[in-house]
Amino acid sequence: MEKIIFYILSAVILSLSLMSVLSRKLLRSAVYLFGVLTAIAGFYFLIGYHFLGAVQLTVYAGGIVVLIIFSILLTHDIDHQMPTPDWSRVAVAGALCVAGAVMFVQLLQGSLFSRVEAPEQSDLNTVGNTLLNPGGGGYLLPFEVVSILLLAVMIGAIVIAKQRHSVDDSSPEKQAP
Amino acid sequence: MFRAIYEYFKEILLAIRGLINGMRITGKYIAHARKEIITQEYPDNRDTLQMFDRFRGEVVLLHNENNEHRCTGCSACEVACPNGSIEIIWARREDPETGKKKKQIETFVYHLSMCTMCNLCILACPTDAIKMGHDFEHAVFDRSQLTKVLNRPGSKLEKGVEE
Amino acid sequence: MYDFTTLVQSIGNFLHGQFSPGVATALEWTLVILVYLALYAILGLVLVYVERRVCAFFQLRLGPNRVGWAGTAQTVADALKLLLKEPVTVNKADKLLYNLAPFIITLAALTVISLVPFAKGLQAFDINIGLLFIVAVSSLGVVGILLAGWSSNNKYALIGAMRSGAQIVSYELSVGLSLLTMVLLTGTLQLSTIIETQANGWWIFKGHVPAIIAFFLYLTASIAEINRGPFDLPEAESELTAGFHTEYSGLKFAFFFLAEFVNMFTVAAIATTVFLGGWMPFHLGDWAGFNAVMDFVPPILWFFLKVSAVIFLMMWFKWTFPRLRIDQLLKLEWKYLMPLNLMNLVFTAILVYLGWHG
Repeated sequence: MEKIIFYILSAVILSLSLMSVLSRKLLRSAVYLFGVLTAIAGFYFLIGYHFLGAVQLTVYAGGIVVLIIFSILLTHDIDHQMPTPDWSRVAVAGALCVAGAVMFVQLLQGSLFSRVEAPEQSDLNTVGNTLLNPGGGGYLLPFEVVSILLLAVMIGAIVIAKQRHSVDDSSPEKQAP
Repeated sequence: MFRAIYEYFKEILLAIRGLINGMRITGKYIAHARKEIITQEYPDNRDTLQMFDRFRGEVVLLHNENNEHRCTGCSACEVACPNGSIEIIWARREDPETGKKKKQIETFVYHLSMCTMCNLCILACPTDAIKMGHDFEHAVFDRSQLTKVLNRPGSKLEKGVEE
Repeated sequence: MYDFTTLVQSIGNFLHGQFSPGVATALEWTLVILVYLALYAILGLVLVYVERRVCAFFQLRLGPNRVGWAGTAQTVADALKLLLKEPVTVNKADKLLYNLAPFIITLAALTVISLVPFAKGLQAFDINIGLLFIVAVSSLGVVGILLAGWSSNNKYALIGAMRSGAQIVSYELSVGLSLLTMVLLTGTLQLSTIIETQANGWWIFKGHVPAIIAFFLYLTASIAEINRGPFDLPEAESELTAGFHTEYSGLKFAFFFLAEFVNMFTVAAIATTVFLGGWMPFHLGDWAGFNAVMDFVPPILWFFLKVSAVIFLMMWFKWTFPRLRIDQLLKLEWKYLMPLNLMNLVFTAILVYLGWHG
C-alpha cells in the first residue's frame, strides 16, 4: 500500500514539476508548484516525519506559494501568456536538462546510499530538544544565525521601502502607496 | 512612554466595553425574540392583518352611507398627478333641487397600473374627497381590470361641500 | 464509560477478519472517507439553517419557518436547488483554475475536520503535531480563494481575493500565536493528549487570565481567518457583490458556501478542544454527586454542546458588529492582536516557569 502511494506521489511530483516549468501561463505555473510542494509534504507524512510535513505545508505551500500567487495577481492580466521561446533555445535548454538528469542518475548510482529506517520517534519533544539545545548535538547556534539572517533581511526590506517612500514624496508625480 | 502604554491599554479596554455594550443589546433581542418578533406571517394572518395608517395601497373615493361622495369634479387631482393615472369625465347637468345647471362628475377613472402612490392627488384635493386606501392585493389576470371607476353607480355629491 | 475505541477497533477487526489486509485497509479508508463526507454535508446543512434562524432572531425576524418543521428542511430544499442549477462558466475565465478552486477549499476544510476529536477514540487522524497540522492545512484554503478570485476574470472577485489574501496571511500569525500560548500550558500538540490534560479542569478555568485572553484572541483571529463577519471583507455584499465567488453558480458555489460553514465548525471545535476541554464533562471541584451526573452525559454530546456554544458566540459577534474596513482590519491585527498575543505568550511562559498552571 505504501509503495503504491509512493509511486502515485512521485508521478504527481514529476508531472506537476514538468508542467510548472512548461506552462506558458504564469499563475498556472504557480499552482502546479503548489501541487508539487504539497505532494512533497505527502512524502514526509508517508515516512512518518509529521513535523517536517506540517512545516513544509505551512512554509512552502501555505506561505511562499501564497505570496508568489499574491504577487502574480498584482502584476499580470488574465490573458497574458508567455511567448513561445525560439526553437534553438528549446533545444539548448532540453539538452542541458537531459545532461543534468544523466549526471544526477550517474552520481546516484555511483554513491553509497545506505538504507535508513525512519526513526519511530520523530515527535515534537525530540525535534524541540535537538533544535534548541546549545550543546551536545543541538542546533541552537545555526538556528540563531539563521534568525540573524532573517533580521537583516527584514531591516533591509524596511530600509528599501522607506527610501522609496521619501523619494515619492518629493517627486511631483506622487504615486499612491 | 508610560503614558503611551497607559493610553494603549485604555483604548483596548474602552473598545472591549463598546463591543460588550453592542452584544448586550443584541443579546437582549435574542432573549426576547419569541415575544418581540416584528415579522408578520402574511397569508396566515390575512383576517387580522392591520396595515399602518400611512400605508398607501390605492386611491379611493370616499362614499358615505347615503351613497354620496365629496368630489366636485374640479380636476385638481388630475392636474396634480405626475403620470396621468386619474381621468375625470364631467358634465354640466341640471340639479334636481335648484334647477340650475351644475358641474358634476360622470366617471372618476383611476388607472392603478400607472399610479406610483405618490400622494400628490390627495394633497391637491380641495374637498378631501379622495384618500389612500389600505388594500394592497391588486393582482389580477388582465391589465384592463386595473383601470377602475371610483365613483359608485348612482352616487351624487354630498350636500354642503361646495359652500 | 462511553469509549469509542473498542467500537472502532471491533469494526477494524471485523474487516480484517473478513478480507485480506490490503482490501481491509482500503475498505477502512473508504468507510472513514464516507463518514467524513457525510458529516461534512450534514454539518453544512445544519449550520446554514441554524445561522439563518439565529440571525433572524437577532434581528427580530422569523427566518426560514415554512419548509418542514419550523423550516428545518429549508436548507435541503436550497441544496436541491443548487444541485439543479446550471453551472455557468465565464467566457474568458481560466477554466482549469476556475474549476480547481472550489476543490482546494473543500480539501482544506475536510482535512482539518479529520483531526477533530469528537469523543474518546473517535478521531480519524490523531498525529503527534495535531495543532501545527491544523494551522498548516487551514492556511491552504487561501490558495483556493486567490485562485477563485483570479480565474473568474472579474474585478469584484479579484478585489475580494486580494483582500482575503492580505487578511488570511496576517491573521494566521495571531491564530498560531494564541494556540502556541496554550501549547505552553498543555505541553503537547497532540489533540487527544491536550484533552487528557484537561481531565481535572478545562484550560480556560485552569489557565488563569492568559488562557481567557488567548481564547478571545484565538476566536477573533480565526473568525478573521475564515472570512466570517465582522471580518467578511472578501465577500462584502454591499461593495463586492459576492467577492471571490461572484462568478460561481450552482454546485461550485455550494462548495464555497459549505466550506465556509464547515470552517466555522472547525474553528469552534478547535476552540473547544484546546480551551474548553473537548469532550470532557464539566466537573465542579469535589462535588462527587454533581460530577457523577455530568459524567452520565455522553462525551460526544458534551463536545457538540460546547461547539454549538462557541458557534453561537461567533454568530452573536457576526450579527452585532459592523464590518471592518480593510485598513482597520490590518490595524487591528498588527497593532492590537499581535502585540497582545506576544505579551500573553511571555506572560504565560513566566506562569509556566513558576509552575502556577494546572
